[in-house]
Amino acid sequence: MDFTNFDQIFAMNDDTNPIMMLIWIVPIILFVFYGQRIQLYVTSGEIKKGISKLDGFRAESRNELIDYVKKNLKPDDDPVKKIDRFLDYFTIMPVDMDPNGIVGKVQHIVRSREDYTRNHIKSLSPQINDFELTKVQTLLEIASSLQMIHKIINHMFLTAKKQNNYPLILPLQMILPFIMEQAEAMKKAIPAFKTGQPVGDGIGPMVVGKMMLNNEKETVAFQTVLAKTEFENRKLFLLKAEGPGSTVGRPADALKTIVSDNKLDAIIMIDAALKMEGEDSASIAQGFGAAIGGMGTEKFQIEKVATDNNIPVFSIIVKQSVTEAITLMTKEISDKASDVTLQVYEMIQENTKPGESVMIIGVGNTAGVPQ
Amino acid sequence: MFSKKEITIAYSVEKCTKCGMLKKRKFIEGDILFAKSSKCNSCDGMTTIEKIFGETTKQ
Repeated sequence: MDFTNFDQIFAMNDDTNPIMMLIWIVPIILFVFYGQRIQLYVTSGEIKKGISKLDGFRAESRNELIDYVKKNLKPDDDPVKKIDRFLDYFTIMPVDMDPNGIVGKVQHIVRSREDYTRNHIKSLSPQINDFELTKVQTLLEIASSLQMIHKIINHMFLTAKKQNNYPLILPLQMILPFIMEQAEAMKKAIPAFKTGQPVGDGIGPMVVGKMMLNNEKETVAFQTVLAKTEFENRKLFLLKAEGPGSTVGRPADALKTIVSDNKLDAIIMIDAALKMEGEDSASIAQGFGAAIGGMGTEKFQIEKVATDNNIPVFSIIVKQSVTEAITLMTKEISDKASDVTLQVYEMIQENTKPGESVMIIGVGNTAGVPQ
Repeated sequence: MFSKKEITIAYSVEKCTKCGMLKKRKFIEGDILFAKSSKCNSCDGMTTIEKIFGETTKQ
């Protein structure tokens, strides 16, 4: 057959080659009846690769945690059994059919879980200091999150496969790249938290921590410190999580306490924020509203205090990717600390008058950032 | 298959409190921001850790 003669190959007249007819028709029949199943097999391969990667991350984070505990905490008994039990711990979120009072309920559950984890880490090694305790707590959170991610994705995949349900596997295929990005970021975060290095999210505490140097500090809320200073006749209240441990503190509780004794005229929050695709990493932006992530309970309380007391909330954010936010701080982000400090002082000058009081909150994980 | 392996090396930047000289060195475990670090090489001042960051290279 002359393959350069297209008329001959695709001819449908009487002298058509029956083999060519079959080559056309068989795949059409195959795809009509088994198309979804074929797609399921192709997609399954990709998802399986992702799940085995997730399993690797889960195992790696667990082993790193066990090694760290054995090496640094020197527990009397073998900690493996206890750690495995912590990793399987789950949190049941409160019912939200009636949203009234949901924030308090969520906060109660989250804090109870944190207290439980803290007490049980202490039970592994009663002599553990707070710095080490926060490190182990963070490593435990990373390992249990990776375990949970693996479990959920594996469950979704196996359910779809068991029922030969292609539409069920589609959402999994769509969310997997995002999940993998988060999981990889968590895995990469382990060395930084183990060695107590600052992470990208620590830019807020880094700026405020530097402003706090040489000023008297006091603990105003759990793992949260306050320093008072002055700038061009304005009273500054500097607030951040207590470093260099790996914690975000409780800025909302601290704000409530401070507002009950002092009149504030502005709140400035400095935090890391997720950049959009195409945006430059470590770029700085200013805006209004409470710049704070997490479950939303701290944000809710800060907004409530600000609204009740009619205090404007300004924010300065340093943009970064998910990975940059929880791994060792990049040079680009750390180089922006002085720029952010300058912008804080400019913001104070522009938005307050002499004699007024301003609260500056460095939001984020303060690992490796003292004050 | 052909992607290069990324390696991140942590660095600490020391700044002399007297002459302001900056010195970049590899991070040592125990380094903490703003902590006093060592004696300055160019004057008799003390250095503090100004920055801790990571630089990623592809291998």
